[in-house]
Amino acid sequence: MTALPVEGFLVLSGGLLAIGIFGLLTRRNFILILIAVEIAMNATILNFVYFAAFAPTAAGLSGQAIAVVLIGFAATEVAVGLAIVLALNRIQGTINVAQATELKE
Amino acid sequence: MDASSFIGPFVPELLLLGAVLLVFLFDVLGIRRNEGLSTIAVAATSLALLSVLGDLGFAPLGVFATLPPALLDAAPTGAPLYAFTSLGLIFQAIFLLSALLVCLASASRPSNEKGAPIFYGLLLLATLGMLLVAVATDLIFLLLAIEVTSISTYLLVAYHRRESRSLEAAMKFFIIGALSTVLSFYGASLLFGAYDSTNLFAIGRATSTVGFPVLVLLGYGFLIAGLAFKVTLVPFHAWAVDVYDGAPSDVSAFLAGGTKKIGLFAFFLVFLGPILYIKAIGAGESPFQGGALDLGPVLTLTLAVLAVITMTVGNLLALLQKEMKRMLAYSSISQAGYMLIGVTIGTAPAITGATMQIFAHVLMKGGAFLVVAGVAALGIGPLIDDWKGLGTRRPLLGAAFALMLLSLAGVPLTVGFVSKFVLFSSAVQAQGYFVWLAVAGLLNSALSVFYYARVLKVIFFDAAPTVPVAPTAPPPAEALPAGGLGYGRAVTIGLIAVLIVAFGVYPQPVLGAIQAAAQHFITVGA
Repeated sequence: MTALPVEGFLVLSGGLLAIGIFGLLTRRNFILILIAVEIAMNATILNFVYFAAFAPTAAGLSGQAIAVVLIGFAATEVAVGLAIVLALNRIQGTINVAQATELKE
Repeated sequence: MDASSFIGPFVPELLLLGAVLLVFLFDVLGIRRNEGLSTIAVAATSLALLSVLGDLGFAPLGVFATLPPALLDAAPTGAPLYAFTSLGLIFQAIFLLSALLVCLASASRPSNEKGAPIFYGLLLLATLGMLLVAVATDLIFLLLAIEVTSISTYLLVAYHRRESRSLEAAMKFFIIGALSTVLSFYGASLLFGAYDSTNLFAIGRATSTVGFPVLVLLGYGFLIAGLAFKVTLVPFHAWAVDVYDGAPSDVSAFLAGGTKKIGLFAFFLVFLGPILYIKAIGAGESPFQGGALDLGPVLTLTLAVLAVITMTVGNLLALLQKEMKRMLAYSSISQAGYMLIGVTIGTAPAITGATMQIFAHVLMKGGAFLVVAGVAALGIGPLIDDWKGLGTRRPLLGAAFALMLLSLAGVPLTVGFVSKFVLFSSAVQAQGYFVWLAVAGLLNSALSVFYYARVLKVIFFDAAPTVPVAPTAPPPAEALPAGGLGYGRAVTIGLIAVLIVAFGVYPQPVLGAIQAAAQHFITVGA
C-alpha cells in the first residue's frame, strides 16, 4: 500500500480547514456558514482517520471511533444552527447575517 | 466494571440528567408552572452540590458522599477517560453553585410561559456538561463535554425566540462558537497525530521523541485559539459583549458566572500538563529540547501575553461603555485575564489564586447580572444613566449591587480582595517575569476602580429623575412584562451579598480546601 505522505496530507486537511474558516468568516448567508462549518469539521475528521491508519492498533481503533463520534457531533451542531436560522427567518424574513445589527453600541 | 461502580462516582451527573428528562417530560405533558419547574431545578442542583461537597470530605455532609474515597486523587493507571481530582470536584461545586443561583433567581420568571420547561432543561443540561468537563482526562472527552454546554447555551441565549435581539445574540454566539469548536478539535486531531493518543496524561508526559514536532506546535496553537474563544480572551473576545447584552439577563449571569469557567478549567488540564512536566524533568531531558521547539517557555510566554492583553483591553473598553450590561461584559473579559495568570504560572499558590478568583467571580458577576435582570423587571432602562437614584429608591438592591462592584474592584473585606491577594502574591512568589503579571494585575485593578466608582456615583449620588424617563434604547426582552423584582431574585441577590462578605471576612474554609486540592493537582496531574 502506498500511503499519502504526511506533508501532502497536511496540505489537504489544512486546505479544507482554511476553506471552511474562510467561508465561515466571509459568507453572509447563514446556510452557507453552516456548510462552511461542516467543511472545516470534516478536515478534523479526516485528520483522525488518517493518523489512525499509522497508529498502533489500539490508538488506531480509538481514532476511528473518534471520527464516527465527531460525525454525529457535527450533525448535532448543524441541527441547532438550523433551528436558529428558522427562528431568525420567521421574525426577520431573511437569513442574511449582515442585516442583524441591533446589538451595537 | 459493573454498574454500581459506575453509578456511585457519577451521582451528581445522573441527578442532573434525571432532572433534565423530567423537565422535558413536563414540556411534552404541557405542565408549565414556573414555580414547580424552578423547584425541581433548585432541588436537583442543590442535591448534586451537597453530594459533591460530601465527596470533597466536608465532614457534616459526609452522608451525601457517593464517591468511593479510593477514587479521589488516585494516581492514574493506563489512559483513563475521566478521573476524580479534588480540584475537579471543587470546580464541580463552583459550577453547581452558579447553576443553583440562576435556578433560584429564575423562580421570578413569568409563570406559565410557553417553553418554560425548555429553559430549565437547557440550563441543567449545560450544567451537566460543565460537571463532565471537571472530571475529563481525555482531550476528546473534554471537548465533547464543553460542546454539551455550548450547544445548550446557544439555545438558552435564543430563549426569547420572538425577540430579534435575543436571536441575533444567539446567531453570533453560534457562529463564533462553531469557529472555536472547529479550531479546538482540529488542534486535538493534530496532537493525536503527533502522540497517537488523546489522553491528557499521555500527551503531558510523552517521553518518546515526537515524529512531527511541528504538529505539536500547531496543535497547541489551535487549542489555545479555540479555548480562548470560550474564555473570552482578547483578541478572541468580540462576541462576548453582544451575546451577554442580547441574552436574557438570567442567562447572561449563567454565561459570565458559569459556563465561561469551563474553558479556564480546560486550560488547566490541557496546558499545565506539558508546562509542569517540562519544569519537573528539567531542560536536559525535554523531548522538545535541542531544536527550535522548546514548548514549555513558548506556551508560558503566550499565555502571559494573552493574560496581560486581556485584562488591559477589557478594562479600557469597560471605561467607555454607557450600557450597564455591556460594561459588566467587558469587566468580565478583564477578569478572565486575571484568572489566566494562574494557568500561566502553574504553581500550587497560583492555581489556588485562580480558582479562588473563579469562585469569587461566580458570586460577583453572576450576582451583578441578576441585579441587572431584577432592575430590568422593575422597568428601568439598560443605560447606566437610567439607574440614577436607584440607591435611594431601592436601598437594599442598590447596596447589594454596590457590594458586588466593590468586590469586583477588589476592596478589602470582600471575597474579591481575598482572591486577588492570593493570586497576585503567588505571581510575586514565582519570581522572574511573573512579577510583571502581578504589576499588570494591580495596575488594572486600579484602572477598574474608575468605572465601578462611576456606577456607584450614579446609583447613590445622582438625583433620581422626577419623571420616569423612557428608556433610550430598545428595552431588553425581560423588561416587557414589567413585574416586580420577584421573590426568587430578591432572595438570591441577598444570599450572594451575604456570601461575598462572609467569604471576604472568613475565607479559610474555601481557601484551605482549594489549597489542598491545588497541591494534589500539581503532584498527580503532572
